[in-house]
Amino acid sequence: MTSTAGVPPVSTNDASGVKPRGRKLTGYWLILPGALWLLIFFVIPFYSLLASSLFDPDGSVLTGYEMTWHFGNYWDAFDQYKGQLWRSLWYAGIATIICLVVGYVLAYAIAFKAGRWKNLMLVLVIAPFFTSFLLRTLSWKLIFADDGWVVGFAQAVHLTDLLNIVGLTTTDDRLLATPFAVIAGLTYNFMPFMVLPLYASLEKVDLRLIEAAGDLYASPARGFFRVTFPLSLPGVVAGTLLTFIPAAGDYVNAQLLGSTNTKMIGNSIQSLFTTQLDYATAGALSVILMVIIVAAVMIYVRTAGTEDLV
Amino acid sequence: MSHLDEAPSPQTPATSGPSRDLRLSQLTKEYASFTAVKSLDLVVPQGQFFALLGPSGCGKTTTLRMVAGLDVPTSGRISLGDTEITYEKPYRRPVNTVFQNYALFPHLSIAENVAFGLRRRGVKDTKQQVADMLELVELTSQAHKKPTQLSGGQQQRVALARALINKPEVLLLDEPLGALDLKLRRGMQLELKRIQTEVGLTFVHVTHDQEEAMTMADTVAVMNQGVIEQMGAPIELYENPRTTFVANFLGQSNLIAGEIEGREGDHVKVRVQGALASVPGDRAHSESGTGWLGIRPEKVLIAEAGEPIDAPGDVITGGYVTDVSFVGVSTQYLVRMPWGQELMVFEQNTGARAMLAVGTKVDISWRPEFAFLLDASQDAKAGIEEE
Amino acid sequence: MAEVDRRTVLKGVGGLAFVGGSGLALKYAFNTDDQKQDPSQLVAKDVSESDKRLIFSNWPEYIDEDDGDYVSTLTQFEKDTGIDVKYTADVNDNNEFFAKVKNQLGSGTSSKRDLFALTDWMAARMIQVGWIQKLDAAKVPNLHANIIDSLAKPEWDPGRDYSAPWQSGLTGIAYNKAKVGEIKSFKELLTRKDLKGRISMLTEMRDTMGFLLMVNGGDPENFTDDEWQDALDLLKKARSDGQVRSFTGNEYVQDLASGNVLACEAWSGDIANAGDENLVWIPPEEGIMIWADNMLVPNLATHQDNAEAWINYYYEPEVAAKLAAYNSYICPVKGAQEAMQDVDPEQVENELIFPTDKTLSETHRFMALDEATMRNYEGDFADVTS
Ligand SMILES: Nc1ncnc2c1ncn2[C@@H]1O[C@H](COP(=O)(O)OP(=O)(O)OP(=O)(O)O)[C@@H](O)[C@H]1O
Ligand SMILES: [Mg+2]
Repeated sequence: MTSTAGVPPVSTNDASGVKPRGRKLTGYWLILPGALWLLIFFVIPFYSLLASSLFDPDGSVLTGYEMTWHFGNYWDAFDQYKGQLWRSLWYAGIATIICLVVGYVLAYAIAFKAGRWKNLMLVLVIAPFFTSFLLRTLSWKLIFADDGWVVGFAQAVHLTDLLNIVGLTTTDDRLLATPFAVIAGLTYNFMPFMVLPLYASLEKVDLRLIEAAGDLYASPARGFFRVTFPLSLPGVVAGTLLTFIPAAGDYVNAQLLGSTNTKMIGNSIQSLFTTQLDYATAGALSVILMVIIVAAVMIYVRTAGTEDLV
Repeated sequence: MSHLDEAPSPQTPATSGPSRDLRLSQLTKEYASFTAVKSLDLVVPQGQFFALLGPSGCGKTTTLRMVAGLDVPTSGRISLGDTEITYEKPYRRPVNTVFQNYALFPHLSIAENVAFGLRRRGVKDTKQQVADMLELVELTSQAHKKPTQLSGGQQQRVALARALINKPEVLLLDEPLGALDLKLRRGMQLELKRIQTEVGLTFVHVTHDQEEAMTMADTVAVMNQGVIEQMGAPIELYENPRTTFVANFLGQSNLIAGEIEGREGDHVKVRVQGALASVPGDRAHSESGTGWLGIRPEKVLIAEAGEPIDAPGDVITGGYVTDVSFVGVSTQYLVRMPWGQELMVFEQNTGARAMLAVGTKVDISWRPEFAFLLDASQDAKAGIEEE
Repeated sequence: MAEVDRRTVLKGVGGLAFVGGSGLALKYAFNTDDQKQDPSQLVAKDVSESDKRLIFSNWPEYIDEDDGDYVSTLTQFEKDTGIDVKYTADVNDNNEFFAKVKNQLGSGTSSKRDLFALTDWMAARMIQVGWIQKLDAAKVPNLHANIIDSLAKPEWDPGRDYSAPWQSGLTGIAYNKAKVGEIKSFKELLTRKDLKGRISMLTEMRDTMGFLLMVNGGDPENFTDDEWQDALDLLKKARSDGQVRSFTGNEYVQDLASGNVLACEAWSGDIANAGDENLVWIPPEEGIMIWADNMLVPNLATHQDNAEAWINYYYEPEVAAKLAAYNSYICPVKGAQEAMQDVDPEQVENELIFPTDKTLSETHRFMALDEATMRNYEGDFADVTS
């Protein structure tokens, strides 16, 4: 969104006196492929989305939509779908936190404890990508089936009761079609996006620094929180973003594993775009989601202070 | 001569209670296919400045790591006074390390790095101590920078400050001055020594630099291939090396093959290329068979053939000068002896006599009390550092 | 000084140009056109003779298949005519399919299909915006001769000039009798405690809302906005109570068979086709919704003759009987009941295929909606279901 239009060319040294004209032009030529890419795959779709968010809501696909600067769409969309918006952020947030905790342990084990199994474990982390997203998610439907052994086991150990108390399920006799199932699906599907960046940054942590912390009276736990964890922060930030952003906009998990009470904003946008063909509301809702996510990411990155970590 | 026999004197601070000597016994570290440290026995008296000297890869770092608790010994014991710490967790040992690679925390500022140890031990107000410590290593103005913004020498000083601030019972220094330029290095050496005397800590200082080891340490241990070849006060090591490795690694030595004739009173007689030389009994480390007669180049006297040599001693004649290099305070000669060996001779430029030219026929001589005798089974070239 | 001024000015001008350009682009570059087309202008050259093919999009599990000695109606058609039929089951939901083809048909380009089957209201909508070609009555004599009376004159295509019903069907309730006790009414579906979270409903607004209107005592063929709102509230409540597990398209059968769903709103033929004797379909006490799926030839179809041959073929009573015996949906062809005697005598009296007049009198259609109302209602409904 930022100044793609005003990008200066790679500047040649001003002090060098006479600037050869050709050199200056080379700069422009070099950014051309990038600029074209940006134009085709970002600027145009984004403008299209922005335009549709300002369509006259009385239009329709059959009669045509006209852009009338109808900013009211934003308020209408927000007001109507704030529940789904809030729910999406909430589900994505929980899934991200679970991914972070579980993924950190996993990445830590791979980076420091796996020894010669390291490569195998990394392959296993990305192995789910070898099958399609839809199939993987659908298979959870079988695993969590109401009459399946997972539900039976969860009931036997009173997990279902616990989930019911904390509000992640709505009854104690099933897991499918509950917030729990949706969050579990999100966690499962986006876990590799958490583990890989975490692994990459943990891998870079110099073991000698951890030793030095131990030498300086830090117990393993303190050494972890004072040294290992801060040094892995770039991975934590990258992983949480790569997990949270797609999770917040996801609709497949809610569609396949959830119920009508667990619909996320992605489902609303999808339905508005593809079945209701209400482009105005769909566009406005997409822009709202985007703004919320960009704002959240900016605040988050600021607070995490990753710019200090080189 | 009496000073040679003097035992190294620990500078034990008056305040100390029962002795807290660092004691390594039978310490061994084996890796899968390689023994890095072999059955090492070592006592570092409390409050001593102890230098561990040896060529690269001889096991110095490995030894320090076991003392710090970062590596677990394969066998043997480490104790501090009466407390055994062989298997104690590193963060429970009153031992700190200045790492060879500094190991500064890149995400913390210099001041935070220095305060790290104090903080972990629950000290609330670290400000003053950190400021004092940074003052000591002359880094006050860098306190808020990150380690990557510092030069190598500055980083090394931070590493030093970070360990020193904890006033550990034993401070392990793994070549802490390696990256400093000569001037800074000399300054830091004095500073280190001063701090050590002041706080009375036990320092175990690993270095490549024999001069550094000799000027700073109360005791020097020369390590080679996982074992300590010899340990003692610097002067003792220099004057009376027990192995060819020490003789060559610490300074330079002329080693001449000879037949040991046997003990005669408190001297041992050696036949060297026809001439008979004698070595004091306490400097003879072999008593029969063949041996290496050792003499330091600066202890060798030289004179033109036939000219009188001013101090009586064992004399060998028939050499001629093959190389002369003038180094200001002294002149270094290479003298080819009749049996083909070239001996080094360093002569003070007192001005008493003109420099000898290449090709001059010469006689050489040395005082028997400066000679030493080593077992001939050792390699005469051991410990010579290739440039 | 001058340099600085020039720069500032340039920057200002650039900024203004950027904002202005963006504004213009937003205002004019992305508007969508009216999608109305004139079908008489969009007739493709018919290549049926030279290129003996037919591309047909239909709903899943909606046609008989070869099985051992049994030769399906489709295979028979191919044998008789030499036409190669490319039959794809890619219609899962009327709206979804509409979205799939609207860019082409709306802009007057080819949808790459010769024929597709859509439910009454969607068929009506497409005919209305001119996306559908007129059928040549001379080429589909069987259609006009054999179509059953109840389907012959829909208000949206009174002469069946544009459309030909593939099958007609009833919407009612299905349940898994191995897992749950008898269910008689739609109201039970919405209220029974043992069904909480274990029922599903269809995303077809007209089917689902028709029942909700009837549960409230209304008439789907004639209702007011208030009645609509009450029915919608009822649906919302069922949803927020967690009674409804999901709103689905054709895929509800899997959930019903696997036991995740115990009972659901269902299309009559699907359950008979599922081949699971624990699954039963019943007409709810409140009434039955009736509908038909209609074959339509879109603009710029290149094999209209073949499509018409196909339609004509399926309106032969023997063919229709074979298809109906497999599908268990209402057969739109007169004389098929007699022909069924030869095909499968057991099915002659099957009310699902050949409903009695009494049954037909209990069925309801959904009120015809104008485009604006339809959009509102679709929107209201989608808000609850997605
Ligand atoms: N993890 C290990 N596995 C196998 N061999 C090792 C390992 N660590 C060290 N060694 C070997 O042990 C020997 C001693 O290593 P150490 O690091 O103690 O040497 P050093 O005396 O400190 O050398 P330098 O002066 O170069 O620092 C070396 O030969 C080294 O290759
Ligand atoms: Mg080392």
